[in-house]
Amino acid sequence: MAFLWEQLRGGLALIWHGNPYILSLTWATIRVALVSTSIALVIGLPIGLVIGLGRFRGRRALHILANASLALPPVVVGVVVLLLLLPQGLFGSLRIEFTLRGVYVVQAVLALPYVVALTPAAIQGLAPGLLAQARALGAGRRQLSLLALREARIGVLAAVIAAMGATISEVGAVIIVGGNFQGYDETLASALLEQFNYTANDPYETAIAIVLLAMILLLIGTLTVVQQRTGPINLRFRAA
Amino acid sequence: MKLLWDELRAAVPLIVHGDPYLVSIISFTLQVAAVAVLVATVIGLPVGLAIGLGRYRGRQALALLANASLGLPPVLVGVVLFLLFAGHAPLGPLHLIFTKRVVFIAQSILALPYVVALTAAAVQGLPPGLPGQARALGAGRRQLAVLALREARVGVIAAVIAALGTSLSEVAAIVIVGGNIYGYNQTLASATLYEVAGAQFAQGLAIAIVLGVLILILLGGVSLLQHQSGGIRLRFRPAP
Repeated sequence: MAFLWEQLRGGLALIWHGNPYILSLTWATIRVALVSTSIALVIGLPIGLVIGLGRFRGRRALHILANASLALPPVVVGVVVLLLLLPQGLFGSLRIEFTLRGVYVVQAVLALPYVVALTPAAIQGLAPGLLAQARALGAGRRQLSLLALREARIGVLAAVIAAMGATISEVGAVIIVGGNFQGYDETLASALLEQFNYTANDPYETAIAIVLLAMILLLIGTLTVVQQRTGPINLRFRAA
Repeated sequence: MKLLWDELRAAVPLIVHGDPYLVSIISFTLQVAAVAVLVATVIGLPVGLAIGLGRYRGRQALALLANASLGLPPVLVGVVLFLLFAGHAPLGPLHLIFTKRVVFIAQSILALPYVVALTAAAVQGLPPGLPGQARALGAGRRQLAVLALREARVGVIAAVIAALGTSLSEVAAIVIVGGNIYGYNQTLASATLYEVAGAQFAQGLAIAIVLGVLILILLGGVSLLQHQSGGIRLRFRPAP
């Protein structure tokens, strides 16, 4: 037990003194989480709304496809994105392979399925008469989308938090596309993996692990609090 | 596009001709997935049922905890296992670190939350009267559990398949505790990471393709099951 205790003390000391490496990793992780989740949201929300609200043929097939893309192994996505970003690849002229921008891109690709798949699920969970009634009362596409978004906001927020959690925890794709250059395009999670490859058990690993755990717990906590408030929002649909 | 195409052309012969390295990784990956899912199911099903059906204090808290454990980053699980199994660590004398066995252990631990949380959710999603009625008619714990499992089987199978998906595509934990040793304890996903990090793109792509195909087969199974779920719900409607 002395071994574990020693590790924990070393790690906490690094965090307490604001070690610059730990700080830069934390900042990079926050940036990746915010940027790639925002990209995923901007692209994914309209698609999710179309799948959730549309009344066209093939809508179900699209939803199944969106659900399926949630299960894509990140390493596979990473390899494909890297081969597209390498200088000889289709988007090679952008020169963003092995940079933080490349990491933004692959993380956005990985976060997209969460938004696209969970938004329609949230909309389908709305009171069944609500959207039909809005349509009958003459709501246009735009008004309908706004209404659906407002009423399904807890579900959409859950999707965003799930996407953010995935971006924070992801390592495989980050290492493949970013190359994991120390202090340059590492996130907390990928740095943790890399540190273990070279020097097992030094206080940096424990410090990174503690910060990562704190960020994830914060996210899960937020999600739990938000979901527990679902009750009053549903109430509004019961007979006025 | 040319690069992706070239690498693809180089990758396909590797798969078709049954490269022995690739074959050994596939067989190890399938072993890991089978063991992890088996362990997670044997431990997770009873726990999930106890959370989903139980009527004791703290059940809600346990359900929350199970859901939260789904969001834990696999890197962190890897770090904790490393700190337990490393040379000087409490479980160090077992000499499990960097072996095949520790890969089985890590993937089983990562698969467990899926079975526990999703089984509990599936059981809780049953019509509220069903367990109540069975209890009123004198069903014991065992009969109740069997009934709930049978009726919630679509959700339970989805839980098992989600666990299988994680054990196939997760890399972070097994790289940390297993060491990602070439040709020894690599799974398809961790071998992809290894090959791409060594700039062996054709090898990496070949392995990624095999992994992608495995996942696609899994997803096909899930969507087939989801299509059947309609029929099962119907059985609860009142008999005419």
